[in-house]
Amino acid sequence: MNVIPCSIKTLKGLYDISGVEVGQHLYWQIGGLQIHAQVLITSWVVIAILLGSVIIAVRNPQTIPTNGQNFFEYILEFIRDLSKTQIGEEYGPWVPFIGTMFLFIFVSNWSGALLPWKIIQLPHGELAAPTNDINTTVALALLTSVAYFYAGLSKKGLGYFGKYIQPTPILLPINILEDFTKPLSLSFRLFGNILADELVVVVLVSLVPSVVPIPVMFLGLFTSGIQALIFATLAAAYIGESMEGHH
Amino acid sequence: MSCTATIASSLSFTSTTCRRVIRPLPAIRMSAEDSDRPSLGRPLLPPPFRLLTFRSLPIAAAVALATSPLPALAEQIEKAALFDFNLTLPAIAIEFLLLMVALDKIYFTPLGKFMDERDAAIRGKLTDVKDVSAEVKQLEEQAAAVMKAARAEISAALNQMKKETTEELEKKLAEGRKRVEAELAEALQNLERQKDETIKALDSQIAALSDEIVKKVLPSV
Repeated sequence: MNVIPCSIKTLKGLYDISGVEVGQHLYWQIGGLQIHAQVLITSWVVIAILLGSVIIAVRNPQTIPTNGQNFFEYILEFIRDLSKTQIGEEYGPWVPFIGTMFLFIFVSNWSGALLPWKIIQLPHGELAAPTNDINTTVALALLTSVAYFYAGLSKKGLGYFGKYIQPTPILLPINILEDFTKPLSLSFRLFGNILADELVVVVLVSLVPSVVPIPVMFLGLFTSGIQALIFATLAAAYIGESMEGHH
Repeated sequence: MSCTATIASSLSFTSTTCRRVIRPLPAIRMSAEDSDRPSLGRPLLPPPFRLLTFRSLPIAAAVALATSPLPALAEQIEKAALFDFNLTLPAIAIEFLLLMVALDKIYFTPLGKFMDERDAAIRGKLTDVKDVSAEVKQLEEQAAAVMKAARAEISAALNQMKKETTEELEKKLAEGRKRVEAELAEALQNLERQKDETIKALDSQIAALSDEIVKKVLPSV
């Protein structure tokens, strides 16, 4: 028996059947740098879905709303309520940021779970939710960091840095560390949830291709929605925290 | 994703069952037989490799696979690039910011303004209705007060009239009673007089009668 070649053959066989392509990306070259094209493509689709549905539903606002307008009014009220709870009275300017964060992550996650991406075959890698890539989640988390720094600085000026020695100067290293752990935890929470859910579903489908993966898919829909809500809520909470006055 | 670990484990599993010759890979050439039987026509390994016995082969294979470049495997199983940071990060950040501006212009601001205006209009109408209903309540209260005053007046007048008429009645009754009493007293007096007169008359008649009776009874006297 040919041990090494036959191991290679079985592995290749398994690989072909399972098709689990974790960490395989479609690379495009732009300038001297590479880009994950599958993330870009799926993010364009998500943006198209968002903008398209919004434009269609909110075209002529009626006093007594139609179904679509009512749905989008509900979403807007939900986002406003979320921002108001976390940020306080000056929540108005932050509604677009928090709203876009929530909608982008929510539609990305659900598009990854619901849309039949496998129909489109890429030469390398596969299409999936754009949030299953570390670049996306870290980008969103860094934007959140920038947002809460901007909020604190624009409200308090350089007095914002006084918060590092609140309540006692002994906590200075911890407060500085917080500025690193906040985006880290945000990004990894979202990344881990979405990637792990996709992996579980793919592995289950390849092992037990019948009704069994369906409850896991529903669980995935539920948790990915919750993750979008958590990300938006935490972003609003960080902004509110930097903007709040003296105790 | 450790491919070499899986290969090593599969090799260790098969080593006890597999007794046939291992066909050489392009990079590694080994022989399962003892190197002191060259007559079988197999190429002899150089002296250092003669230490390879059958049992140590899987371990040696795993070590060799791990250290050698694996051209055959590399094409098929790529190293998983999960933490691969590149231009995608700023690209997504820029896309997100553009999406935020677009959604703000199309959705958040117009619909938000529309909803706020509608809320304000409804609230205005509600306060209007409340004002009007306050006025109506006031007018109702006034009307009720007027009605009460009127009723009080009427009942006062009624009581007054009742009092007056009862007084008159009593006066008339008293007069009538007095008259009747006066007449009664008069009549009684008359009767007394008549009684006295008749008694007096009777007295005189009694005397006359008694005389007559005596005359009649005692005729001889």
